Amino acid sequence: MVRSAGRVVRHRTPRRRTLTLVACVLALAAPVFTGAATLVGRRIDIDAGESTWIVPHRIDLDLPGESGQDTPPTRLRIASLGVDTGLESLQVDPKGELQSPKVYDEAGWFAAGTVPGDPGPAVLAGHVDSRTGPAVFYKLHELKPGDRVEVQRAGAWLTFKVTAREHYEKARFPSAKVYGPTPLPELRLITCGGEFDTARHSYRENVVVYAVLS
Amino acid sequence: MIVIGASLRRRTAALSAAALLGLGLSFAGASPASAAGVGYVRLAHLSPDTPAVDVYLSSVSGSMATQKFDAVGYGVVSKYLPLAPGTYAVAMRTKGAAADSPPVLSTQATVVEGKAYTVAGVGKFTDLGLRVIPDDLALPEQGKAKVRVVQASVKEPVLDVSIAGGAKVAGGVQFASTTDYQLVDPGKWTLRLTPPSVTTAATTVTAPLQAGSVYSLIVLDGKNGLTAQLRTDATSNGVPAGGVDTGAGGTAADPDRTGLWLTFGSAALLVVLASAGLLVLRRRHRVPTQL
Repeated sequence: MVRSAGRVVRHRTPRRRTLTLVACVLALAAPVFTGAATLVGRRIDIDAGESTWIVPHRIDLDLPGESGQDTPPTRLRIASLGVDTGLESLQVDPKGELQSPKVYDEAGWFAAGTVPGDPGPAVLAGHVDSRTGPAVFYKLHELKPGDRVEVQRAGAWLTFKVTAREHYEKARFPSAKVYGPTPLPELRLITCGGEFDTARHSYRENVVVYAVLS
Repeated sequence: MIVIGASLRRRTAALSAAALLGLGLSFAGASPASAAGVGYVRLAHLSPDTPAVDVYLSSVSGSMATQKFDAVGYGVVSKYLPLAPGTYAVAMRTKGAAADSPPVLSTQATVVEGKAYTVAGVGKFTDLGLRVIPDDLALPEQGKAKVRVVQASVKEPVLDVSIAGGAKVAGGVQFASTTDYQLVDPGKWTLRLTPPSVTTAATTVTAPLQAGSVYSLIVLDGKNGLTAQLRTDATSNGVPAGGVDTGAGGTAADPDRTGLWLTFGSAALLVVLASAGLLVLRRRHRVPTQL
């Protein structure tokens, strides 16, 4: 008798043929933290020659923690900066670069990316200024670790806590760090900073604020 | 000549050092008060014959109130906690034991910004230990997912891991160890876990994996044979190229904005120092031709 991942059953009367039985679905109770493993079926191979039943296991796993809801975010509130804005959806252009909001006084979110509140880095961008004066993220560089940032989604406000603020040259923007995988629901608030390049009509730096759902 | 050369070299070195200092200033100006960010820690109970434990997590520097996880049982993997970089103490106590009683086990984990760790109770009860397993949150290659296997089964203490009908991932994976992360194509992914004994059946595990995400597949003792859990270590959903153009310049001359003058000042200093350095280098080159 051999110990087995599946089950090895001594068979008393050897048979001369191979049979395959598929047992019915055997659902195990989902553990508290889910990522539930479900034992979907058991293939039972009866091999007469060796007079043993070898029972391989087949385990089908679901993606853990999927909310299944793609409710978009509707508003962004940063009380310490006096920001309270609607959110437009932002797309990437053919070069793959994130496009900025059309309205200077409104922030936007990268709609093809993470929805705020879902695991991953949700990207919110806003202008620092218009041609004539301050825009919605004019004061973004004043945020400090511990400050609260709130996003409204499906009528509820989600509170994120600022963990870091970084300034990156656009020419050396660390995309993998800013947009790369995160274990928790997080935010990346992005605007411009640094020196204004009049020839390119663009600021040389990006200010990126990192926040984690609290 | 040699003496002159040496002295010039020294001056050049001194000037380069000054230029580097200028550069440092410039960086400091460009990133005023950038914050430390967070690292991530989660806790796991991967010891099949160890009863449920209470797990305590506290900051060695006392910067965080102690967090307690009640009655953590075999196979439980907590959510990640975002933590300020620093050193943390993890202690396991018997379920319900007083918080000030001596722990059954304790260890320390140093958390680095942007890094993630799984602190796991591993081994059999008799030689139970706490291991700090580094998790890799780095962005997988474009269009790929990343997955590893965490071996926590005592029933099958050694497993060969391979992709069904494909490449071997790792051979002889011992109880209480992990494979390296593997880059795989997203979609439905099937893994074969094969015990070394030829008479023992393989277990196949299928899991749906998404591009840009990082997974740990945890193999555990089940009621019959093995069972498994899929954990999403980290998720990303599309990576735009580079930064965003978010400004039209209407306040570009406003000195109040983002430490701009400091950047200008140090950039100017850098230009002065660099040209001085260049001058010395030119003179140095000229010396041998004169002799």
